[in-house]
Amino acid sequence: MGSHRMGETGLSDSGPSTHHHHHHHLPYALLHGMNPSSTAFMSQDPAFDFGELEEAIVLQGVKIRNDESKAPLFTEEGGRPSASTTLEMFPSWPMRFHHQQQQGSSRSGGESTDSGSGVNTISSKAEANIEPESPISRKAASSSSDHYHFQHHQMDQLAVSNGGAGPSSSSHHHIQQQNQSADKPPNEKTLRRLAQNREAARKSRLRKKVQAYVQQLETSRIKLSQLEQELQRARQQGLFLGGCSGAGGNLSSAAAMFDMEYARWLEDDLRHMSELRAGLHAHLSDSDLRITVDRYISHYDEIFRLKGVTAKSDVFHLITGVWATPAERCFLWMGGFRPSELIKMLISQLDPLTEQQVMGIYSLQHSSQQAEEALSQGLDQLQQSLVDTIAGGPVIDGMQQMAVALGKLANLEGFVRQADNLRQQTLHQLRRILTVRQAARCFLVIGEYYGRLRALSSLWASRPRDTLMGDENSCQTTTDLQMVQPSQSHFTNF
Amino acid sequence: MYQTESWGSPYVPASGRNGVGSYAGGGDPFERIEQLAAESAVVIFSISSCCMCHAIKRLFCGMGVNPTVYELDQAGDPIAGKEMEMALMRLIGASSAAALPVVFVGGKLVGAMDRVMASHINGTLVPLLKDAGALWL
Repeated sequence: MGSHRMGETGLSDSGPSTHHHHHHHLPYALLHGMNPSSTAFMSQDPAFDFGELEEAIVLQGVKIRNDESKAPLFTEEGGRPSASTTLEMFPSWPMRFHHQQQQGSSRSGGESTDSGSGVNTISSKAEANIEPESPISRKAASSSSDHYHFQHHQMDQLAVSNGGAGPSSSSHHHIQQQNQSADKPPNEKTLRRLAQNREAARKSRLRKKVQAYVQQLETSRIKLSQLEQELQRARQQGLFLGGCSGAGGNLSSAAAMFDMEYARWLEDDLRHMSELRAGLHAHLSDSDLRITVDRYISHYDEIFRLKGVTAKSDVFHLITGVWATPAERCFLWMGGFRPSELIKMLISQLDPLTEQQVMGIYSLQHSSQQAEEALSQGLDQLQQSLVDTIAGGPVIDGMQQMAVALGKLANLEGFVRQADNLRQQTLHQLRRILTVRQAARCFLVIGEYYGRLRALSSLWASRPRDTLMGDENSCQTTTDLQMVQPSQSHFTNF
Repeated sequence: MYQTESWGSPYVPASGRNGVGSYAGGGDPFERIEQLAAESAVVIFSISSCCMCHAIKRLFCGMGVNPTVYELDQAGDPIAGKEMEMALMRLIGASSAAALPVVFVGGKLVGAMDRVMASHINGTLVPLLKDAGALWL
């Protein structure tokens, strides 16, 4: 059931738009139809529903039917109704197929070897009939072919609608009138047989086409899974560097994974900011805007969660800030932004605030400062302790010393986690202090601020370093400015 | 009020005892903890070599609070000290070994470093300290 449904799809896809495509496949499919085994197969397969195929064929369009139907008449001219009519029904096909042999084999991949032998067989058999009857030389017989178009069209439609029962008397008469190149008027029996043969061949071609399509799908599927495996392997080897982490060389897999996720997070950040901006401009209701604001907070919660996971495997990657742009990295505090600095930046941009809100913000700044101070002192203590462990005294037991040092280093993860915790709590507290609209504006300001910081890094990297080298570097700056352009469009003030 | 900063225990140790170590030992660790927590406004259970414990001590000092610190690795009875550490781990629901430091204010459990920081940022720690009489502002 599935296969011929696919066949329908394949047909309808290729039908109306790509006449050539259909023909392209036809000879190829035809080739396989030529095998005696396949024709036997056709009759052996009762499950194959020809009825549905017929339907599909009718939908194909006149053109194709005309081309097909032309051929049998050509054959009949020669007066050779025989058991091998199926075989020689389309003497013109091999010619075209020959021309497109190259394309055919590239498309069908592994089956080109099969087609190779087949082509020769057909070509040799139909050689005598090729020239005058080839569709390629259709132009020469265009005048007569027009007539044939008309006749065949009528005949064909009758054949299909009557299920191959034969043309009605009126068209029979018509054909007899218009017949020019035939030696004798085709009788009813012959016409019926012609129609039947056409049907049979059509169905055979369809079936082969379906098989070819399935084969292609299978090959593609295998290729896809291979690519996926390669990608997985490459990722694990840390070759997949995301965003601006130009660390080069030894990136642990956790670090590489984080860089990738962070790059995606940055993209999401832009999207969230657009939503906030749009929401504010559109003067959304507070309840609607709240949804957007809360989503932005969740967006930040997500990066803190990611950093927590990464800290377990590669805390140094986070602390050294390889994943951040140089300007960000310069002001990095324990693997991220310093909450009190952020609040200081925000204070001037958040007005108007109520007196209670102002107190809340200053209180928040104060407490975050105290917490930062405490954590920094704790980290200093850790460094001091580490130094004492590694540097201290005569090295009596190197391994023991190293083991102790390793144990102390493990505390780094805790500090980065607490710092991220502090950042997260600060953002949540901001949300609590501010109204929905204020919060939306606040987060927009934060997002834009870091966007500018990142842009600054980019510009700094490409600034002209020397007046002599000004020209070449200014080109770079221009491109960088163009790069920065999109993010600058986000720097709106309202 | 505070001793000069030195690596060790610059804070006023638990008073009324024979040195730092005699508070632990004997009886149910949970009971000991509860007992000790009730005796002072701010109680920190700590390990002397732990840097995070150092950080939390600095936090309270920076706020002007004078906490009572119990260094569990310097308990007179090391086993009892370890028992109390395990008990604290269960109290705060910690899965891994990093349970300490743990803070009690006014006899009630506040939690480990993350909970303390969160409560400080969201503004609930200071009122708590004032209620317990650890802060006068």
